[in-house]
Amino acid sequence: MGLLFNSGQAATVTFEADVRPILKAHCFHCHGEDGSAKGGLDVRLRKLLLKGGKHGPAIVPGQAEKSLFYTKIRDGEMPKEQAKLPAAQIETLRRWIEQGAETARPEPDSPDEWITEEERRFWAFQPIKNPPVPSGTANPIDAFLLRRLNADGLGFSPKAGKRTLIRRATFDLTGLPPTPEEIAKFLADETPQAYDQLIDRLLASPNYGERWGRHWLDVAGYADSEGYTESDAERGWAWRYRDYVVRALNDDMPWDRFIREQLAGDEMVPPPYTGLNPEQVDKLTATGFLRMAPDGTGSGANTAAAQNQVMTETLKIVSTSLMGMTVGCAQCHDHRYDPILQSDYYKLRAVFEPALDPANWRMPQSRQISLFTEADRKQCADIEVEAKKLDAKRQAKVDFFIERTLEWKLRKAPEELREPLRVAYKTPTGKRTDEHKVLLDNHPSVRQISPGSLYLYDREFNDEIAKLNAERKKLTDNKDADNAEALKKLDGQIQYFRDSLTKVVLDAMAKKAADVRATKPEEPFIRALTEQAGKVPVTHLFFRGDHGQPKAAVKPADLSVVALNKNPIPENDGRRPSTGRRLALAKRLTDGTHPLTGRVLVNRFWLHHFGRGLVDTPGDFGKLGEKPSHPELLDWLASDFMKNGWRLKRLHRLIMTSQAYRQTSRRLAKLDELDPDNRLLGRMSVRRLEAETLRDSILFVSGQWNPRMFGKPVSVKEDEVGQIVVGVSTNDSSNRPTGKTISLGAEENRRSLYVEVRRSKVLSFVDAFDAPSMEPNCTKRTISTVAPQALMLMNNNFVISESRSMAGRLQHFAKGSLDTQLGLAWETTLGQAPSAGELAQSAAFVEKQTALFKTQKEKQPDLAALANYCQALLSSNAFIYVD
Amino acid sequence: MGIGGVALTWLLQREGLLAKPVKPEFAAHDLLPKRPPHEPRAKAMISLFMQGGPSQMDLCDPKPMLDEWAGRDIPVKLKYDDAAGASAQVLPSSWKFNRHGQSGMDFSELLPGFGEIADELCLIRSMHTGVNNHGQSIHALNSGRTVSGRPSLGSWLTYGLGTESQNLPAYLVLRDPASLPVEGTWNWSAGWLPGLYQGTVVRAREPRILNLEAPANLRGGGQRNYLDFLGNLNRKHSASHPGELDLEARIASFELAARMQTSASDAMDISGENAATKKLYGIDEDATKEYGTRCLIARRLVERGVRFVHVLTGNQFWDHHHGIKGSLPKACKKTDRPIAGLVKDLKRLGLLDSTVVHWGGEMGRLPVVQNTRNAGRDHNTYGFSMWLAGGGFKAGHIHGETDEWGHRSVRDKVNHYDYHATLLQLFGLDHNHLKYKRGGRVQSLIDGQPARVVEELLA
Repeated sequence: MGLLFNSGQAATVTFEADVRPILKAHCFHCHGEDGSAKGGLDVRLRKLLLKGGKHGPAIVPGQAEKSLFYTKIRDGEMPKEQAKLPAAQIETLRRWIEQGAETARPEPDSPDEWITEEERRFWAFQPIKNPPVPSGTANPIDAFLLRRLNADGLGFSPKAGKRTLIRRATFDLTGLPPTPEEIAKFLADETPQAYDQLIDRLLASPNYGERWGRHWLDVAGYADSEGYTESDAERGWAWRYRDYVVRALNDDMPWDRFIREQLAGDEMVPPPYTGLNPEQVDKLTATGFLRMAPDGTGSGANTAAAQNQVMTETLKIVSTSLMGMTVGCAQCHDHRYDPILQSDYYKLRAVFEPALDPANWRMPQSRQISLFTEADRKQCADIEVEAKKLDAKRQAKVDFFIERTLEWKLRKAPEELREPLRVAYKTPTGKRTDEHKVLLDNHPSVRQISPGSLYLYDREFNDEIAKLNAERKKLTDNKDADNAEALKKLDGQIQYFRDSLTKVVLDAMAKKAADVRATKPEEPFIRALTEQAGKVPVTHLFFRGDHGQPKAAVKPADLSVVALNKNPIPENDGRRPSTGRRLALAKRLTDGTHPLTGRVLVNRFWLHHFGRGLVDTPGDFGKLGEKPSHPELLDWLASDFMKNGWRLKRLHRLIMTSQAYRQTSRRLAKLDELDPDNRLLGRMSVRRLEAETLRDSILFVSGQWNPRMFGKPVSVKEDEVGQIVVGVSTNDSSNRPTGKTISLGAEENRRSLYVEVRRSKVLSFVDAFDAPSMEPNCTKRTISTVAPQALMLMNNNFVISESRSMAGRLQHFAKGSLDTQLGLAWETTLGQAPSAGELAQSAAFVEKQTALFKTQKEKQPDLAALANYCQALLSSNAFIYVD
Repeated sequence: MGIGGVALTWLLQREGLLAKPVKPEFAAHDLLPKRPPHEPRAKAMISLFMQGGPSQMDLCDPKPMLDEWAGRDIPVKLKYDDAAGASAQVLPSSWKFNRHGQSGMDFSELLPGFGEIADELCLIRSMHTGVNNHGQSIHALNSGRTVSGRPSLGSWLTYGLGTESQNLPAYLVLRDPASLPVEGTWNWSAGWLPGLYQGTVVRAREPRILNLEAPANLRGGGQRNYLDFLGNLNRKHSASHPGELDLEARIASFELAARMQTSASDAMDISGENAATKKLYGIDEDATKEYGTRCLIARRLVERGVRFVHVLTGNQFWDHHHGIKGSLPKACKKTDRPIAGLVKDLKRLGLLDSTVVHWGGEMGRLPVVQNTRNAGRDHNTYGFSMWLAGGGFKAGHIHGETDEWGHRSVRDKVNHYDYHATLLQLFGLDHNHLKYKRGGRVQSLIDGQPARVVEELLA
């Protein structure tokens, strides 16, 4: 790190540059903020320190030892009940006082809402520059990178081989491996355009949108459930947003439009949202971005806290994805490290409040926009009329059964009690006398008869039927006697009890009505964010972030530190039915002058190509985040991206045709010594497949992959041990397995992108390989290497069964030729052709396993051995990592 | 994350050298042993869960009043679950009670084994959850609230304490081969805690632990061959990637995984136990063999540092709505001797002091007849019994009392949350401090209920 960033301390210590940041992080909370000035001391300005508190002046300029402010901190008495400040910071304070406690410039009158020049000068808030491209290379990216490498006497590594390149590029752009045919074609094409054409082909693949859509869905926090509560209710229609994202990427929609639609698509469509054309449907669907945060109000917790949390999480998603700022910290107080005021947080909140208005809260269901037509509604209404008729019939039957059950139970009671019991039961609960109550309490089985408990009484009727059947058998066994009369009587009695069996009859009637209702066309919805006409809420700052303590009203605005007069955010734009607040913010973010959005976006794109962003904390460009390794390159990329129509596919081409991208990934001793983390990109980095890519690739090479795109997600369920797998749960109402299975057809073999993202039920296989949890979103994935992943690859049923499918397919395509099977398997998974030695070792392994399986009386020892070979390839580092 | 996690992600980052440094922005979760805020009395727990609701007035809470009122209508109001068979007719116990040990604890003749360990037990006769359904009461006792989707007790303990075991899951579930209890997989759910705190199930058939045993045809030499071949592939790959540490780490992770498999199957293999030990657990007898084997495995797991072992009965094993005369003795027969054996064995090995053994269901039963033709008893969650042994609980102690009918707790009532607070205390944890932050909310096992550490239960 020292190589890249030196943070030497300036000779002259000033309040603004050196002292205030320390005090802001540790002292403002008790000594200044929110009217809190313990001991009468406010430390937010030099002059306030001089004024001091009840113990007199806090500082004596030039004399640190006489400054209480200093000695208390030095002796660890302050900050109270917290760790002592680091020695270096204490030394800074000492030097500042000793040097005369200088400020850089005159201080403002009030310490409130003060952003210093020093804070404004922080790199991320500076306008995006368009730095001149260093000369010497054709690709500007290479020029910037080389300049930095050369400065340390380094350069690029050699170009990677063609096999490596096609595998790298194919995974990067589609999230799938190249097929042997694709590899062969690329190898055979010796024209200079071969590589460019490869990139073009991959960018045109529909799988491109799936791969890059997944990246965006990480930051958007895509989920198919509401989260927040234990019930984690499912979201029926979130998937339309997922499909919108995939399509937008495949269509290379300009990102300024992409962002504007996601932030304010609804403000571009006139309400009421009926009779929508496809373009309008898309715009409304895009606002699903703002409906991705967990929403407890649709999950059984429609409380003020849950409503507030929807706003909090939505702001977190917006700010980390588009601004690279952790604004959430300013919810309770001014940001401790970044110049984000508490009022900034609430101004930003005000932008979204007309749509997420606590005073007029709407639960997720009532926010949805129906895509039903009038004809659809009419059809449903007609069907409902029919269903209601069946309901009425069933109700009549329920009444009949209640009567029967009551009479049956009365027969069991002493004769003199029957009439009083009947009367007591039939008296409505509220009107029952004490006498009624005592009587019923002593006959709980009469008291408890109700539509809901009828089924419980069936057991007794069944017992009666069994008894009567036994009698009947006795009669029929006796062939001599004339039993006709007696039999007839018995049959009548049996029929009486059969007719009293409620469950079968009522269930069948209920099913009939349900079947009729099932013929209604399903009402399709859009999960969208919209405002409510005519309702413009006033947003308040919350004291210390507590939504129960609203304070001053604030107006909508972007963060003060980056706010310009350009595209100010209106309170209520008279030209449109909505307030226009989000549309204005969206325009501001995409107007080409916003210092954060362009940088944040290109940094993210860079991250997905190189495994690390130019800023290594893609969700935090603030003071606690990392500084850019190549600030000029970052600016040039952002500026170039915005100038050229915010087109991502163009940027992909630029990045992927660079020399930097086409280097080998091999580590070199000299490089490693100077730059072990490869921040300078003197080589490519080796990267592990992400969780979904690994699962998708296994399906892809096994031949089981179902390429169907779009639509409702494939459901997940718990298996018998609680692992989450793809499937339809057949557990009973007490969550016990019933053993039934419902076939998904080939749906279970779709890409992971289409597997339901239930926050409480993350697919176990991808979970093991670090799939992110959406609480509420993920700005950067972690990659772990732990034994449970090895166990998954060794023993998990998914891997076992896919290996077997793969083996079956190989046997089918290369019948009889083991060498061909082995070679094909190798190349399909690893993208390389096996050497003669590797092939021989492979054959030896398969033969060994075949022999073993034969002794174990395995039914198809050849297939099993080949499957195990495929499994070894799928578990191998050469498959799991990309060079 | 919920029950989602991976059934075996218990080992995350145990292996220091494998773990990559985690950036502070990501909350890192692991199962490394953690020192609780207070000195712990208990280190491990075996919960013997009697799903369905054992009948306290027939087992451990004798009520002579029921004999006096036999057949007459009970003069107090009851809450029934099953309406059709409900009656007010008092049902006395069919079994004789005896006092046992120095403590003179009462157990009926159905539980001779419990009689032998009476002086080790802390019997609570005043349990209360107040929700009359199996599912809700299971959740109350196992996850603090009556709803599903929350973390189970074992998940909280492993979240708070990690585990001592090097190569074994932190939290294991020994399920009954016949069926799962009501609420199925939710019984070992990690709820919204990270998936690595979820219980790992030991199945009745192979592979006993999913993902932790080789598929059938690879067991034995087959998987070794696979690992050797894979090792060759990976070493060759590494040779062309010098200095790429993650590749080395992954090779090591396969070796570690193989060792973990061996440890797990070793823990589950009781063939090395001597005949006397097996006899102690009733493994010599058909009726007790299966349950006894699981009790013995539970001991072997605790011995190896596993934090929490949940031993389950099958679906509604103790839910005796009718035919209690036949089914209750059967349920007792299956479990009495193995459980007594387990407590004695833990004591013998010096493990009882640091291991909490829990016996109990999610409810008890009513003092009246249900289903006159073939009498049983309906649910009762207003006053029922369970016991704890070891780990700092008083030995030979009876706590609380139900009314003369055995229906409601009338003295020293213990709610499920009081029980939880007490348990956490013995593990050195504080129920006010064991928290998990999620979605802007701070969550806990007790979840704001007015819990009290029941000091009277502590030795």
